[in-house]
Amino acid sequence: MRSQRQRLAYILLAPLALFIGALTLYPTAVTTVEAFFREYSLVNNHNFVGLKNFHDAFSTPAIRQSFVNTGIYVLSGTVLSVVLGIAFALLLRQRSRWRAPLLALVVLPWALPPVVEALLWSRIYDPTFGPLNGVLKSIGLISHNQVWLGSNRWEALVLIELVQVWQTTPLCVLLILAALQLIPSELYEAGAVDGASAWHGFRYITLPLLRPGITIAMVAAITASLNIFDQPYILTGDASASASVGVQTYLVSFQNLNFGEGYALSLIMTLATAAISLLVLRLVYRRVEF
Amino acid sequence: MGLALVVPGLVLLVAACGSSGSGSNSSSNNSAPAVNLKHPGGSITVAVAYPSPPPALLQQFTKQTGVKVRWVNVGWDDLQSKIVAASTAHSYFADVTDVDWSKTGEYYKLHWFYPLNRYFAISTLSGQMPQLSSFVDNGQLVGIPMDASFMVSTMNTKQFTHAGVTKAPTTIAQYTADLQKLKSSGVNPHPLNIPLQAQEGLSTYWYETTAAFGGHVLTAQHKAAFTSPSSPGYKALAWIVHAYKSGLVPPGNINMADVASLTSNMAHGMTASSLSEYSGDLATIYDIPSNSSVVGQVKYVSTPTASGAPAPNLGNPDGVGIPRTAHNVAGAVAFIKWLDKPSNQALWAGANGGKDAITGFPLPAQKNATAILASSLHGKSGIGDLSQLLRDSQPVFQNGAPPWYSQFSNAVYTNVHAAAAGQESVKAAISAIAQVVNQNAP
Repeated sequence: MRSQRQRLAYILLAPLALFIGALTLYPTAVTTVEAFFREYSLVNNHNFVGLKNFHDAFSTPAIRQSFVNTGIYVLSGTVLSVVLGIAFALLLRQRSRWRAPLLALVVLPWALPPVVEALLWSRIYDPTFGPLNGVLKSIGLISHNQVWLGSNRWEALVLIELVQVWQTTPLCVLLILAALQLIPSELYEAGAVDGASAWHGFRYITLPLLRPGITIAMVAAITASLNIFDQPYILTGDASASASVGVQTYLVSFQNLNFGEGYALSLIMTLATAAISLLVLRLVYRRVEF
Repeated sequence: MGLALVVPGLVLLVAACGSSGSGSNSSSNNSAPAVNLKHPGGSITVAVAYPSPPPALLQQFTKQTGVKVRWVNVGWDDLQSKIVAASTAHSYFADVTDVDWSKTGEYYKLHWFYPLNRYFAISTLSGQMPQLSSFVDNGQLVGIPMDASFMVSTMNTKQFTHAGVTKAPTTIAQYTADLQKLKSSGVNPHPLNIPLQAQEGLSTYWYETTAAFGGHVLTAQHKAAFTSPSSPGYKALAWIVHAYKSGLVPPGNINMADVASLTSNMAHGMTASSLSEYSGDLATIYDIPSNSSVVGQVKYVSTPTASGAPAPNLGNPDGVGIPRTAHNVAGAVAFIKWLDKPSNQALWAGANGGKDAITGFPLPAQKNATAILASSLHGKSGIGDLSQLLRDSQPVFQNGAPPWYSQFSNAVYTNVHAAAAGQESVKAAISAIAQVVNQNAP
């Protein structure tokens, strides 16, 4: 009886496994192999070249810079998204009649396609007509219109990251809020009886018990930031000062037709995503039982 | 995560579909198939960066040939990615698609498109199509011009006159001085339009500015011709950067692409002149009241040059070709012949007013069609000036675009942008662009 059930489970899982295998595992395997072959479309050869594609990629200043940029996006994006995620989740945990509309409002940026968001923010940052200049002028922070994107690398990185955080935070809010709602209220009541302040409750009850939710939120934010593409591509075009590895992979592969380097960069990013996610799981995740 | 996942996803998908990756030079057979052009029939997909002409006109074509047309309008940049992804993966996506002038060398080398010599005679067409050579590589016709786009200079004559400049400048020095005059007189604080976002439009601006300084960016052998400080390419780049830093160009242009700068700046009088923009902008942007607040004010002018002698206006036409993965080659050939018919070309460019025009279509590819258009427009929207400028237009590269053009252009616009933004010097930008040329040039 049990083996029949197991067989049925395998049969039911088979289509999905095939789907994943065909669309994920096979291309990943091919990419892994091809990253070590010459794959420059304009050159008629297909030879094993070892680490040459990786070496060539890292010899290009724009690609090296894109790794630094992506590192900045990952660090700042993850920290900000998770911190804001915790803050909003704590706010939304309070039961009030505003909770549902607030939740819908917070989730909205996550529901919009990233391209639409990037286009929207490009209007906000517009130096001539953008509302950002208008608001800052009206409160006296600037005296004349500023060019926000393109003229200063760090400014561009911060503003692009802001858009990314705006998009990633809602997912973090949802993940952390779900974890937050699992914490039994009795724990806080017991803490209050023992004289614990609100801060103590947060520090010694909420944060430790939120670790599984925070871990998943961190992994989601890291994955999104490592693969950031829409925001830098739409807000600053192909400018290497703020380009991510995703943008450079696109340019190397689909513009320069150097698929070997493209495969190599994709492989690096896949491995980096897996490694960093595993590291976060190991360092942050703790099994929680109530 | 939208496009964020699309990029590695596309790379992976290409890996899956065409595991040899490039698929380049894999076809030993370069010849196009024999086709029955009398009754091709069937259906075709046309993927181009232009909106469709009115359905009634397409239905006329279907009636004549039995070929049903599915017209897909894809943005130019997205279309290039689509062509690369589909061709690399050897998958069908269209029977007729865009062949940009800059891609001829690349496509010739990669054999992604059928050579069209079997269906179109170069000797017959070259007399009628002044920009045909941009689509020929080693005697092979990779595409057929769909339009006759070329780079032109424009001036808002009202603003220039207001600042006391009544005569179009013929030299770069005079042009710069006139722009300074507009700025200092308060007529326009930032009179010069240069789209400085790191995009293709910035590369073409540099090519035309280099022509204005009296040269080409690459030699006939595709070697760098811009590394010496006394070369036209070097001077052109330095001029662009200086124009931005001295405030002649609006500060916001550092992150503005070509079309956006024309439709928002030039079309609303926020800039007064462009050294390099696209032929046809008067008829399709500035003289259309719903798009513009400078109707009748902007004129085409001869591009000012370093020497004062007339500059060549460099061609950047879009063409069409037949990918090797096309399903209906006969239908595709019949369609291209119909698309390029002089009477139809004149319609696309607005001979019948906006009714049958293709939005954004610059100028007909055929001289006969330009003549029809000129007589229909009665000299309006600078058509007479354009016809004259078209006669003197030249290809950007003397021997066609190099096969590694995309890589070159990417180096051009990222480094010109970085130099203007103050992230690197003119010398460093020139050196970075030259490095790409040296890596690729034979």
